[in-house]
Amino acid sequence: MNTKGASLKGLLLVALLVSHMLLIKEGVTSLPICPNGSVNCQLSLEELFDRAVKLSHYIHFLSSEMFNEFDERYAQGRGFIAKAVNSCHTASLTTPEDKEQTQQIHHEDLLNLILGVLRSWNDPLVHLASEVQRMKEAPETILWKAVEIEEQNKRLLEGMEKIVGRVQSGVVENDIYTPWDGLPSLQLDDEDSRLFAFYNLLHCLRRDSHKIDNYLKVLKCRLIHDNNC
Amino acid sequence: MDLQHLLFILALICANDSLSASDDLLQWPQISKCRSPEMETFSCFWTAGNFYNLTVPRILQLLYKKSNEEDWKECPDYITSGQNSCYFNASYTSVWTPYCVQLASKNEVYDKKCFSVDEIVLPDPPVHLNWTLLNTSQTGIHGDIQVRWDPPPTADVRKGWITLEYELQYKEVNETKWKELKPRLSTVVPLYSLKMARDYEIRIRSRQRTSEKFGEFSEILYVSFSQIGIVCDHCTEEVEFPWFLVVVFGVCGLAVTVISIMLSKQPRIKMLIFPPVPVPKIKGIDPDLLKKGKLEEVNSILACHDNYKTQLYSDDLWVEFIELDIEDPDEKNRASDTDRLLSEDHLKSHGCLGAKDDDSGRASCCEPDIPETDFSASDTCDATSDSDQFKKATEKEEDLLCLDRQDNDESLPNLANPDPQRQRRNTQSENSHLWAPFGDSVESPRPSVHTQISNQNSLTSTDFYAQVSDITPAGRVVLSPGQKSKLGRTQHEGCTEQNFTMDNTYFCEADVKKCIAVTSHEENEPRVPEQGYNEDGYFTTESLTTTVANLGASTAAPPSSELPVADYTSIHIVQSPQGLVLNATALPVPDKEFNVSCGYVSTDQLNKIMP
Repeated sequence: MNTKGASLKGLLLVALLVSHMLLIKEGVTSLPICPNGSVNCQLSLEELFDRAVKLSHYIHFLSSEMFNEFDERYAQGRGFIAKAVNSCHTASLTTPEDKEQTQQIHHEDLLNLILGVLRSWNDPLVHLASEVQRMKEAPETILWKAVEIEEQNKRLLEGMEKIVGRVQSGVVENDIYTPWDGLPSLQLDDEDSRLFAFYNLLHCLRRDSHKIDNYLKVLKCRLIHDNNC
Repeated sequence: MDLQHLLFILALICANDSLSASDDLLQWPQISKCRSPEMETFSCFWTAGNFYNLTVPRILQLLYKKSNEEDWKECPDYITSGQNSCYFNASYTSVWTPYCVQLASKNEVYDKKCFSVDEIVLPDPPVHLNWTLLNTSQTGIHGDIQVRWDPPPTADVRKGWITLEYELQYKEVNETKWKELKPRLSTVVPLYSLKMARDYEIRIRSRQRTSEKFGEFSEILYVSFSQIGIVCDHCTEEVEFPWFLVVVFGVCGLAVTVISIMLSKQPRIKMLIFPPVPVPKIKGIDPDLLKKGKLEEVNSILACHDNYKTQLYSDDLWVEFIELDIEDPDEKNRASDTDRLLSEDHLKSHGCLGAKDDDSGRASCCEPDIPETDFSASDTCDATSDSDQFKKATEKEEDLLCLDRQDNDESLPNLANPDPQRQRRNTQSENSHLWAPFGDSVESPRPSVHTQISNQNSLTSTDFYAQVSDITPAGRVVLSPGQKSKLGRTQHEGCTEQNFTMDNTYFCEADVKKCIAVTSHEENEPRVPEQGYNEDGYFTTESLTTTVANLGASTAAPPSSELPVADYTSIHIVQSPQGLVLNATALPVPDKEFNVSCGYVSTDQLNKIMP
């Protein structure tokens, strides 16, 4: 009986350890979870922003690494950099381009802009994850990162919607959105063109994730810490 | 060494030449780097190259263009960042917009770079480094300090526009290598366990959080404990960790523990720490018997089987019943009888290897009136109608048949040849003699034994074991899975019934008949004397001891009537219906001729022989 109990304990420990390891992702899930349906459980705005900033930082970190890996692996010697002065599909959204503009924009507008950018990236991320799998000898790391980014982007979108619900007074119609039509370019037969399309998309993803990360940090410092981070 | 010196000198000369040669070449102007310290402005720097030789001095211009523009514009500020630089202030900077800059003179473009400002962020170094003492150790030799600094003034960290990471490096003053701490976000870092007698240097650099490149290092901060008035009594003493003592005492303690465990009477602890290693054990064989026995006897006993294989080809009486799967040596080698015998799983399967073929007489193995040779055949006859085994058995029957090969000149394996000689010399064939070879082989490492088997198997491609399934009225032994025994002379020679060694023993016909003849008087088995008439060997398809098989396989000796009969020991332990362990010293061997080179008795025979 002793051995049974000991083995059960060991099993439980192992299960806990495994679940802990699976859940730990760059500190994103270390925050307490508010169970669904509980009435009095409400995360404070500070906690919401904390989570949002962590998520956005994680997404930017992943996209940065993914771009670097892709650049290293596929783009060397193809002269993509020279052509990288590209335009992303989110360029049509007028987002603040420097600190001054960021400070001048109203926080609700900025939140809506962030939401718009996140929504615009939903579709491309889904297709990116699926198309990356078709890449020749796509390494496991790029594959995993694409899937992870897509997942985290959804979570960040949800979080942002919560924040917007808290911050904004009244219901505001948010139709900031840019459709993405780059799917055919990801499916081109010509390998060079296809890889260039991927390169552009990853470059744009890195840039936009940095943008979102920055905006959220500025908003957090402005709203929560009163410009005194 | 001389050659290396020569090569080195040559390399130096060549390098010198190339260097001097490059001086003659025109070095083009290049954009060395573009950098933004705070993500609000940026500057680009270039090198002018060597235009000294040119008569007309060229004026370099830096042109820039945003991605959504068409025209190249000139740099707005050539001065602020120093010489050969261009400074773009906040109004010209759009952070996430792709820029392209190019270095050109009037007609020529020398260099071009494209980037966006968020990619070229390299923060300034932190400022206002200072340290405070946290606490000191009780001995007063070590102390902890806390280092503080401020972020670079240009970086707007307070509004969250840029998030910085800091890396601190420190070292003792007279050291050369800096120790690094992990990059962190906070501007306060404790440093633990610094030696109070020494002075330290600290420097810090920063980077944007998601970047890889660090900015420049800050100014060096000097940490000197004597300056803040800390008096250290024993500071000059340097207590180093007594590694030597630790190692020595650790080893001694471990040795003492191990010895005490080994010598301890507590079996449980001993079992826990030093679990007993299972010694190789052959089921049915008493290793003591094997140790005392003689190798030659067992070798010869087993060896006789090997010879029969070649013999059988010349004997067409039973050839038709021989099914040889020669074309499938792998199968034979893989699962030869020996191997199967070696594995206990197949103990029973050897009893009667699928007595399908009625002509071969093997079906008789399933008959209940053949008990003496059928250890488990009756039990397993129906169960083991395995065609593969059947085929293998047929192949091996050749080997198993201890036909009177001694009368025929055959090509014996060289190994086997000396064995009969040795056997003859074994006049004093104790019971244990039979097992002597086993003992030797048991003591020998297992792999060699197995290789012996495999080798032998590859040589002979069969095993040597069969089971006497029937005894024809003519005095022939019907074997299964082996082949039927040939007609042969009958030799009634004495052999002590007690010398029957059971449990998968194998018989050369000649040997057995001697044995059987002797024992026939005492045996009640009607079959036994009939078997004794047979010159053919008798085999048990039970799993003889591996060593026996191996020995027999490896040292196949021709069974001959002249060969001394192996001794048989009394039954020591009846392990199973198929197996018996023989007591080496139980009974004397009355008949020396009974040193059968291959003498085996079925379990049932032995059962009837022994009380």
